[in-house]
Amino acid sequence: MLLVCLRAYKYCFCFVNAGLRCVNFVRHRFALKYKKMKSSFFSCLLLALIFSVTADAQQVLVKGRVHDKATGEPLAGATVSVLNANLTTVTDLNGRFFMYMQAKTQQVQFTYLGYRDTTIQVDPATIDGRELRIEMTTGVVQLSGVVVTGFMKGQVKALNQQKNADNIKNVISADQIGRFPDPNAAEALQRVPGVNIERDQGEGRYVLVRGLAPQFTNININGEQIPSPEADVRFVALDAVPSDQLASIEVSKTLTPDMDGDAIGGSVNLITRTAQSTKLQVSSSLAGGYNNLMKKGNVQGQLQFGQRFGQQGKTGLLVNSSYYHNDLGSDNLERAFDDNELELRDYELTRTRLGLSSTLDHRFNANHEVYLRGLYNRFTDREWRRRYVFKPEDDEIEKLTKDRFEAQSITTINLGAKHTFKSFFLNYEGQYSYGEQNTPYDNEIGFIADLASTIQAGDPKFPGIQAAGYTDNTNYELDEAGFGNTLAKDRNLTAKFDLGIPYKINKNNGLLKLGMKWRQKTKSFSITQDYYSPIAGIPDLSNFDEDPIKSSFMKGRYEMGRPLSVASFIRYFNANPAEFEAELEDKAIDEALEAYDAEENVYAAYLMTRQQLRKAVLVAGLRYERTKVNYTSSDVVIDGAGDLQDIIPVSGSSVYDFLLPQVSLRYPLSASTNLRASAVFSYARPNFGEIIPAQEINQEDEEATAGNPALKPVSAFNGDLLAEHYFGNAGLLSGGFFYKRLTDFIYRRVLFNSPYPLTGTPYINSINVIQAQNGNDADLLGFELAFQHHLGFISPGLKPFSLYLNYTYTNSEARIQSRNASASDPNAIEKLRLPGQASHVGNISLAYEKKRFTARASLNFNGEYLSEIGGAPDEDVYVKDRLQLDFSASMALTAKWRLFVETMNLTGQPFEVFMGDKTRLIQREFYSWWGRLGVKFDF
Amino acid sequence: MKKFSIRIATLFLALSLFSCDKQKDGLETPLADFPQVIRLADEGDGDLEDEDKFSFKISLSDRKDPDGDELGGKVVPLEQDVLVSFEVTGFEGFTQLSDFILGAEAFYEIDDCITSLDQGIDLNLTFDVNTGKGQVRFPAGIEEIEIEFETDDGLFDDNDFNTDERSITIQLTGIGATSENVVVNTSGEFVYEVQDDEGIYGEWELDVNDPVAFARFKELFGLINEDILSLDASEVDEITLVFEFEEVKAIVKLVETEIVDDCGSPSVENKEIEIEAEIEELSDDALSGDVEFGELIELGGGLFREFVYKGVFSITGSTLTIELEGEYGDDSTDAIVLTLEK
Repeated sequence: MLLVCLRAYKYCFCFVNAGLRCVNFVRHRFALKYKKMKSSFFSCLLLALIFSVTADAQQVLVKGRVHDKATGEPLAGATVSVLNANLTTVTDLNGRFFMYMQAKTQQVQFTYLGYRDTTIQVDPATIDGRELRIEMTTGVVQLSGVVVTGFMKGQVKALNQQKNADNIKNVISADQIGRFPDPNAAEALQRVPGVNIERDQGEGRYVLVRGLAPQFTNININGEQIPSPEADVRFVALDAVPSDQLASIEVSKTLTPDMDGDAIGGSVNLITRTAQSTKLQVSSSLAGGYNNLMKKGNVQGQLQFGQRFGQQGKTGLLVNSSYYHNDLGSDNLERAFDDNELELRDYELTRTRLGLSSTLDHRFNANHEVYLRGLYNRFTDREWRRRYVFKPEDDEIEKLTKDRFEAQSITTINLGAKHTFKSFFLNYEGQYSYGEQNTPYDNEIGFIADLASTIQAGDPKFPGIQAAGYTDNTNYELDEAGFGNTLAKDRNLTAKFDLGIPYKINKNNGLLKLGMKWRQKTKSFSITQDYYSPIAGIPDLSNFDEDPIKSSFMKGRYEMGRPLSVASFIRYFNANPAEFEAELEDKAIDEALEAYDAEENVYAAYLMTRQQLRKAVLVAGLRYERTKVNYTSSDVVIDGAGDLQDIIPVSGSSVYDFLLPQVSLRYPLSASTNLRASAVFSYARPNFGEIIPAQEINQEDEEATAGNPALKPVSAFNGDLLAEHYFGNAGLLSGGFFYKRLTDFIYRRVLFNSPYPLTGTPYINSINVIQAQNGNDADLLGFELAFQHHLGFISPGLKPFSLYLNYTYTNSEARIQSRNASASDPNAIEKLRLPGQASHVGNISLAYEKKRFTARASLNFNGEYLSEIGGAPDEDVYVKDRLQLDFSASMALTAKWRLFVETMNLTGQPFEVFMGDKTRLIQREFYSWWGRLGVKFDF
Repeated sequence: MKKFSIRIATLFLALSLFSCDKQKDGLETPLADFPQVIRLADEGDGDLEDEDKFSFKISLSDRKDPDGDELGGKVVPLEQDVLVSFEVTGFEGFTQLSDFILGAEAFYEIDDCITSLDQGIDLNLTFDVNTGKGQVRFPAGIEEIEIEFETDDGLFDDNDFNTDERSITIQLTGIGATSENVVVNTSGEFVYEVQDDEGIYGEWELDVNDPVAFARFKELFGLINEDILSLDASEVDEITLVFEFEEVKAIVKLVETEIVDDCGSPSVENKEIEIEAEIEELSDDALSGDVEFGELIELGGGLFREFVYKGVFSITGSTLTIELEGEYGDDSTDAIVLTLEK
């Protein structure tokens, strides 16, 4: 037996080593280069299967559910160990577990941070297939001596799940989300170690994990990827997802083979809620707030019903809804140094966020259950943008107003089942998900005045403007009116199954797991864009102006005058169409250039083992993913005079395969301390905007931009080493290193003096083609530190205080074609940092919790990061470092009622962007502070 | 508890349903079906003071090509005839409209050689030379019509350089009833300017037999035209520089001839090399001043290159002295002086 084991391990190591050498391979290489490796790997699996079959005959299925004795709440993430048997498992989100034990009486121990260890004697013969009910009590624990209070349970739950996870992940529970003043999922995620967020109008939107741009992280709801409502990208704007819809958020920093392989930064899983109690549980919150910049209010509410029905609560139904209405705005200043232009932008926005989610589940018995989960989120954004554009070089000043409404919605429906049989388990699920961004109108009217202006360079933060008469609207005549609407659609259909077979090697238990997945994605973008210019006779801007939305702009530093009213102008347009002419060429260019259709089919399969090696848990396996993509779009050719020459329908397709070896090891040094290591291969698909064949060939500028359907995904090796120590009921100290090597890194390359098209018979002999291309690689190295604990260990008097700290340092080096490359030296290489990589990211949060009162001050910090690679190093665009201070507090009025207050951005931190060096600020956007006051209740 | 929950739920549902996303607040929706627009084809024209006619054109704005062939859109003709009214809304340099305009006729081009007049098609033009008001039928299926006025060619023809403006302004004023979605632009103006042939306007001739003048001309315009660069004086019959309304032409009439089929009447004519450019700047109200003109030259394959000529001029009697520097892409000339005679 030992010989066989050794041979199995040898094969396993063989496949890992082979995998380390090569992950990404194109289809035609696959059969030859990896035939040997595949052969070894499948031999290994075959052996494992044989073990499992022989072991099955001696094992019986034991299932159970772990509860808090006092409240009856299920305990997720509890460790279940069969003593002296090298067999452990962990409870799921509903506190349930199952394990295949030997058919004899054994001691089973249940451990949960902050709870007393509980050991029971289990005789499978007497259980007879029934579900065990284990109740654990909070109390003095060996390490910290702290008792879990009701308000800390969410944090404890999250830490338990994190501690017992097979991979490196961070878990935030709903309770923990509620401790911070974060209304949407992106903002909740900013508190996680290694996570940075991109903001829009001061609100979190995109997630950057471990110094990698949003496209390197996949976003899931209930374990399945969701489509992006936006046109060009795959990543999801998480401001559409209300945080109070969620039971928890998991950020997996390392992957296991049963997870989608297209995540290099990490994988975010948003988990919706499930009914837990046979009693009707109702929770709600209602809050009203205030935005200091706009002097307007906001409203937020949430309502949730959940109950399990039937004799044994076999059927559960939970319905959750939330609504958020926010009137916000910003004062914005933007500069274009090369063109010597300056813009003043006054934003006024109304945003709403409606979330509806529901879970219906039915447990036929302890072994079989089905579930139906649905989620609908709708995020709307009405935006008025009023701006001046000062153009001293042209002696012109433009005055424009934009009125745009955008509705993003995400719908997901998951229908699945979980079956546990005597010798294996089977889970399967089908998912329909749909994301849409509908912009029913996007209207912008521009007027222009022949006025001289001077931009004074003295103060880089608030450059002065000298422009006599620029607020006098009689100086402005119509330049152009644009009316547009767009619709971006993204739909996923997914089917998958997971099969788990327990086995045993000597005294070490293991689980062989395999599964398959198919996902079909259809994505499209359609646009209607009309432009009108004046023929003659249109009155000056003073005939279309309106009262300003606020009394001062940037604290009175700049005058904005009376803004243009889009509605007033459109009324005139509708009454006097004869004074306008349609700019049909611009319409044709925009509509052809941006519209596209794409279909993508992903086929995936995996085989893995979760092997207990005494205390340690080894997860190793292989995942295979094949992606087939087809696109249709248009080439737009603009002649040397700047006129539209041709629109040519084009199509493209690509196929790529990935074989991803993945190994993770968790080694518990003690009951409270884990050492983790992992070596994982993963990849990230290119954004749709980079691969769709749409092209713009502008012979006037002697420049073409072209999509690249042959673009390969970025592949990566991810190495992790982490140590973590948990303090009793609510504390953690962890630290670890991570390294990522990205190959086929995608960057924007200039192909100098290239014939066009790049393949086939060229009809342009020489033009500079800008195209996203593969070919270079990048390294990213970083470490994460996290600490959370009450301060009672310093002094008993500080016990009500707790500290939540995390810090992530990253350093990256990407090698791209040098921006100084020329036709004579096109392969010159330049090194720079990866876009999205901030060297320093962290959180400091100090909380005071005593009896019925809690208060928390939270600082979120991110260092500067490269946002956009420019044509030259001094044109690189960076988002400046940012430090935001938020404050929240709550008071429990009764056992069921709680009063809370939340305030954000107390120091009025702006969003700032610079180009090249920090003195060249090209954008500064100010929001002031906002907050809300409300009540929560739970019945 | 249950009642309370139901009330809360109802309240919340109501809040959600009436959620104020402001999608419609203050919203005005632009016309979905933008109409056909009848308009003046040009904003103006001009000719020398002894010209005996001028014309303006009425056209339709471009619309999206229903066949998708014309990417930038095209004129889509009307499906019904419509009456279009127009009016002389102003004039300068004379006292009575009837002193200048003697009559009018309307027509449209059927092809390069035939007009509707040749076919006897009446566009029902009415025009009162006293009031300046007129009306014409814009026929279905037609892209553009032209109204030509007969003028008194002696009214302004003198030997003085006039700096006062002499012009006439015409606007469209309305259309007759139609069931089509068509409107008329009444704010656009067509201004006809009388140009003084004692000033810069008109035709100026270079002495081809002067080798210095010919060499200078070749150097200046050979920058953008290889045929000119390789010319020998013996090949040239005449070189003229013509200043017209917003346009300059350099015309080289060659000795070599060709047979030209002019609408079915073949004739022998000299071959010509012609350079046309748009005037960017011209001191046309003085006998000396600045001049700048330029144009894009198509190189083929969708590529263009721009040329610009810029300098000063002065007129003494019938002699024009013009000093120009040429730029053509990265190539250029030094300042070159040409002397031409009217």
